[in-house]
Amino acid sequence: MNSQAIQILFLKDLFLSRWPMFGYLVGGLLSVMITCLPGESADFIGFILMVTFTIAAGIHLIGVLLLAESLDMTRTFVMSLPVSLLDYSIAKISVVVVAFLIPWLGMLASLTVLIFVAPGAKPGVLAFLVLLFLFLLAGFCLQLVTAIVTESVGWTIVVVVLGNVLFNLFLKMLNEHPVISKLTKSEVLSWPPVALQIIAIEALVILVALGLAFMFQIRRRDLV
Amino acid sequence: MITTLNQPHQKTAAALLRGITKSYKHFRLNNIDLEIEPGTVNGLIGPNGAGKSTIMRIMMGLVTPDQGTVSVLGHPISSREASAKQDIGYFSDDMRLYKSESIAFHFQFVRSLFPSWDEDYAQQLLKRFGLIAQQKVKGLSHGQRVKTMLLLILARRPKLLILDEPTNGLDPVAKQEVLSELMQIVNDETRTVLYSSHNTQDVEQISDTITFIDRGRVIASNNRDEFLESWRRFKLQAPHNWQAPAIDGLRPESTFGNLRVMTLDRYQAEVEDRLQSSGATLESSEAMTLEEIFVAAVLRGREEKQ
Repeated sequence: MNSQAIQILFLKDLFLSRWPMFGYLVGGLLSVMITCLPGESADFIGFILMVTFTIAAGIHLIGVLLLAESLDMTRTFVMSLPVSLLDYSIAKISVVVVAFLIPWLGMLASLTVLIFVAPGAKPGVLAFLVLLFLFLLAGFCLQLVTAIVTESVGWTIVVVVLGNVLFNLFLKMLNEHPVISKLTKSEVLSWPPVALQIIAIEALVILVALGLAFMFQIRRRDLV
Repeated sequence: MITTLNQPHQKTAAALLRGITKSYKHFRLNNIDLEIEPGTVNGLIGPNGAGKSTIMRIMMGLVTPDQGTVSVLGHPISSREASAKQDIGYFSDDMRLYKSESIAFHFQFVRSLFPSWDEDYAQQLLKRFGLIAQQKVKGLSHGQRVKTMLLLILARRPKLLILDEPTNGLDPVAKQEVLSELMQIVNDETRTVLYSSHNTQDVEQISDTITFIDRGRVIASNNRDEFLESWRRFKLQAPHNWQAPAIDGLRPESTFGNLRVMTLDRYQAEVEDRLQSSGATLESSEAMTLEEIFVAAVLRGREEKQ
């Protein structure tokens, strides 16, 4: 493993994804600001925009950093340089995840600040939002492993669509859950056991998906 | 068959392929043995789909063979190996740069991975090729894109150049510019070059040694001059019932009435006498161009396979 090569590849990809990454970060922050506007519809529109920007960021970054590299044959160029498949895989998976985490964390962090400083905000809603954001992160990791295994735009979109459907079912399930649904109206931030169990499942899905993505990537026999 | 792309001597081979086999759905690279001597220029000629690119990709670790071993510049090659690539410059016609970025971006990226990067030479090549560092890749013509990629390879002063169809699709001026640059590089005897093309003229211009590949097999390999000397075409007037003498490597090419055209791949001075004494009248004995040799070798190889 060559840590210098990994760092160079990571920075190169971070630079290549700078526009979508910051575009979605700005879009996400604007969505958070919309929730500050008066009226319930502002909350709803802001929330829908946040989810949309997060899902779009995932598709866009996987497309730019992963799928385009194999479809446009730029991977042949990169792998002709003194880079091993292990170096390439570590750099590639890390950068895709980091590029996604920048707008994702930006939105979650600004929401956290807003919940604690905005007058009338209910701190309990943060636990609810963390469950939703982790679900979106898990969905992104599943798209990532699909893109790596299939190198197909079509199959990746299928997983995006399935993830979107599941997200809506998940949101409905949380809203109907007797314990979780109460969190949105709670004046105190709390983490009931059921919320921690859901977080543990989401964390497991994320770790397994990233592990599989890495495993499939380094086992690839042909790079062109 | 072990194909040595030059006369064997004490030096370690620049590249050594042994028993390489790779199967795809509609193509199979079949038991390729290849040895490339250091400091030589080697041409790999074959029709489209012959297996030239696959061999080169295997040498770069971009494709893993099903069987066989590869070592390049003394390093075993696989996708897990990066050290040999420090001294290899690989160009492929289907390789692409980042289209939304500039030539300067690619300079900086490649330079950061190569301590051997020669900035002065890079700037000289930039000027000589008429390229502008700030220009985005998506605005480059095909010729400019090829020159940019060659520049990125040459400025790091690799010991081994693996060039897969570098002149493909270039206009005559761009082709000459690229070939001239390669000619200068091949004058440096410490450099080894493996150059593939389906254009025999390009390969003939710069290669010391030539290998013909067809349908995933090496069908002939020799020093360029020996290739040209050992192949001959004979035109003979011969009666209908004439039997060609048993000369090793003599094959009929075509027949027009009493005119027989034959090719030979192991020419020796006494062959003409043997043909004359067989009852035929020798009209001409001609040297063949590399392209003619290539076509004849491919057709022979296919016949033998059948």
